[in-house]
Amino acid sequence: MKRTRTNKQILSRLFTGLLCTLMAVPVMAQEDELKDLPGYIDFGDLSSTYGEPKISINIGGTLLKFVGLMSGDDDPETARMMAGLKGVRVMGYPIDNNAAVAKDRFDEVKGSLKSNGWEPIVQVNEDDERVLIYMKMSGNVMDGMTVMTVDDEEVMFINIIGQLDPRQLGEMMENFDVDIEDSLDLD
Amino acid sequence: MNRYDEKWEDQINALLDGELSEIDADLLKDAAGSDGELARAIIEAHQLQQAMNRIGVERAPASLKKRLRAIPRQEKPGSGFSILQPRWAMALAVIPLIVIVTTVMRPQEPSAREIAQARQDLAVAFAYLDRAGDKTSREIESVVGSTMSDAIAGTVIRNVKSQL
Repeated sequence: MKRTRTNKQILSRLFTGLLCTLMAVPVMAQEDELKDLPGYIDFGDLSSTYGEPKISINIGGTLLKFVGLMSGDDDPETARMMAGLKGVRVMGYPIDNNAAVAKDRFDEVKGSLKSNGWEPIVQVNEDDERVLIYMKMSGNVMDGMTVMTVDDEEVMFINIIGQLDPRQLGEMMENFDVDIEDSLDLD
Repeated sequence: MNRYDEKWEDQINALLDGELSEIDADLLKDAAGSDGELARAIIEAHQLQQAMNRIGVERAPASLKKRLRAIPRQEKPGSGFSILQPRWAMALAVIPLIVIVTTVMRPQEPSAREIAQARQDLAVAFAYLDRAGDKTSREIESVVGSTMSDAIAGTVIRNVKSQL
């Protein structure tokens, strides 16, 4: 009887371990897929200060590849651009005139970018608005681009992992044919 | 009796078992006649034997017999397949784990809905990127004027392009 009970405990523990592993594997795989890339930058988490993000986008290489493949025949430019991308991440929080914490994080990320070999492309430092665009290169290959903006209303972190040709960006925006006004409160 | 342990114990046992020769039995009786301690030892041994003989064989309960008979089958190594044995349980648990982890880790084709959602997310992401570009352009323009802004923006784009 004791032996049977021990076996049931073993089976129960194995089953619990199996469930935990199965739940964690997809999340770990997606995170690791991007975190291991040289163009990845950690923005941290501001939800403890500003609540849930206003926008949170995390697209990995697999989805980007399929978006490119779906665009292939009709839009070879987009397909070519998608082929160079490995990940796209956007994280934005509404800050409601409480920009202090966001600006601190802004500076932390900026420091991290500098210390990890990222190069500044454009910087705007106004009292009520700051914009930073950084890029990381490995030789002649772009590893990633990071764009950060903060004003009195929101803080936004954008991380493009892989290669992005700015010449193609405008063309691709038109070809996406998505009504972004519904999703984005543009000025 | 302590003094006679070595000397008489075997003979007392043999007497009780009926295996002692008549000569040795007579010698033992003679000795017991003159040795009260030996006589008491023989009597006690005889009484003990009789008491043991009076004890009958008690039948074990059926449930105990069943469990006792099952012990050799449980303990005998390699005696068959039991799913509750730890090694089989572990092996069986690992098989679905391997299958499911392999399936999850393998890139799967996303659904049309997931791709459409990804396209929309990308459009939003690039719109934010575009807006950041607009902000920087406006700032440059407000500082140096539109003509110079175009020149600077062009320089920036050329700088970016040159690195690609």
